[in-house]
Amino acid sequence: MNLLDGYGMDTITMAGTLEAKLAAMKGAGFSQVMLMARDLVTHPGGVKAAVAAVHASGMRPTGFQVLRDFEGLSGHLHSYKLDIAKSMLEMCAATGSKVLLACSSTSRHATQDLDLIAADLKKLAMLAVPLGINVAYEALSWGRTVNEFPTSWDVVCRADCPNLGIGLDSFHIFAAKTPLDAIEELDPSKIFLVQLSDFMWQETPTFEERMTTARTFRVFPGEGVHSEQLADLVLRLDRIGYRGDYSFEVFNDDYQQLPLETVAERARKSATWLHQDVLHKSAPLPDWARQRA
Amino acid sequence: MSLNKVDREAVPEMPNRLGLSGIEFIEYATSRPQALGQVLENMGFRPVARHRSREVTLYRQGDMNLVVNANPDDARVSGTVDGQPVISAVAFRVQDALKAHNRCMDLGAWSVGSHAQAMELHIPAIHGPGGSRFYFVDRWQEFSIYDIDFKPIPTVDPNPPALAGMGYFGVVQYIGAARSADWQTYYEHMFDFSSIPDEERFGILPKGKLMKSPCGTFLWQLVEPDIWMDGDDSPECLQRIGFGVPNVAEAVAALKARGVEFVESTQLHPEDRGALTRNTLGSVAFELVHK
Repeated sequence: MNLLDGYGMDTITMAGTLEAKLAAMKGAGFSQVMLMARDLVTHPGGVKAAVAAVHASGMRPTGFQVLRDFEGLSGHLHSYKLDIAKSMLEMCAATGSKVLLACSSTSRHATQDLDLIAADLKKLAMLAVPLGINVAYEALSWGRTVNEFPTSWDVVCRADCPNLGIGLDSFHIFAAKTPLDAIEELDPSKIFLVQLSDFMWQETPTFEERMTTARTFRVFPGEGVHSEQLADLVLRLDRIGYRGDYSFEVFNDDYQQLPLETVAERARKSATWLHQDVLHKSAPLPDWARQRA
Repeated sequence: MSLNKVDREAVPEMPNRLGLSGIEFIEYATSRPQALGQVLENMGFRPVARHRSREVTLYRQGDMNLVVNANPDDARVSGTVDGQPVISAVAFRVQDALKAHNRCMDLGAWSVGSHAQAMELHIPAIHGPGGSRFYFVDRWQEFSIYDIDFKPIPTVDPNPPALAGMGYFGVVQYIGAARSADWQTYYEHMFDFSSIPDEERFGILPKGKLMKSPCGTFLWQLVEPDIWMDGDDSPECLQRIGFGVPNVAEAVAALKARGVEFVESTQLHPEDRGALTRNTLGSVAFELVHK
């Protein structure tokens, strides 16, 4: 049992090749990795070689991201997105990921009818059943209709499908200033993914500010100005019984130009802070004690 | 204003939006068609026709059609598991095959491309568990689909009677750990199957979740690995076929006389509820259930 077992990094945080990223994460003590479709398709050896690299690393995929703007479309737009979704599901399955992340739509062409949105997500979930994949639906803070997690939870409840749940991302929760009390309303078994990151600004009132910050200047939990809120969020999730993975969704332009080991070490410190200082989980026993037990 | 007492509680009928009406055929894929054919013949099936363009044989007894597919492309799936035959498809009788296929596509099914050659039937299909497929057949009343794609084997009775009154009773599907709810929802949504309460059980292996087809003619059993089989991540598959029989003891006696071996275990409770044949060819077993 490793202290870091419940935590993982996202490949999007670091520069370099997939193999180098996996090695750096593993070197810092992580055993899981959140994969992005781009990791597979930009691999010089192609998707198959990327999948082989993931398997060879021994790292467990936390999940696979990201399907965008899927729900609420009609006609040829819906058919087009359905094809995209199928390709994402196939890549997700190839890597052995059990979770596909789908972000709420930003499209002005999509309906705002929550029942229709739910029906589309149920269709996505049905496509995922034979592949053994769970779909985590996440409210982007700049989503057009669904931009806070109570709404994504509402949609998931309307769809009423066992392999469709929600994904939570602390960035979007804090950026939209969603009250954390609504965590109590969630069924922990239907939270399929929790992505954590912090950032340096107190306010991100406009969608544009949220997008820029989200894509260039997030930091690891404990490194930004929302550490107290982040600790509160994690404790609330723990209290309602969430025992799934925490993945660090940290887009940061600076980290993209640092040595991979340096970035992975910052992630390790962050995970340690969460595990010991926030959740007060015990450190693993030292070797001599484990041998006696 | 009229008050109709009958409508007061709105007792729902079982929806059957595909117009499901039983199983038209079940298909095995194998790279060892002769060996499987022998097993099937022991079970009372007779080869009655061969496919016009592919290495596919139709077996039949009573109203059960069973297809053995040794076409290299299709049998490859069998080759990956040491040549063990696999149940590669179940074909459902439906009201309208195109409508059924379109409806399933709208609900989130994966379509399967057709390999029909000239003058052959294009039977629409969707992907099922593992590498399996679900076909939709609507022309089962006015004529036989087998007359088009298959050539009868000369001098053979095209309609051999069923041994001991056997007929398709159900299919057992092995699924991953904690996947029952996913598959139950899938079958409810796609095919209008409905779940049978855990207290209501048939046969001798009352495990897992049992579902019933909306036409009421067959059952679908979902079996997860046991909790102690931690780490059993073998692929999901259609594991075996169940045959319904009017008298289990008589059927067992008739099959034993033909060389079929049964699992004799105190853990199973054969009595007169059912029986299970021993695995042959590594993966082929059949269950008998009192009908």
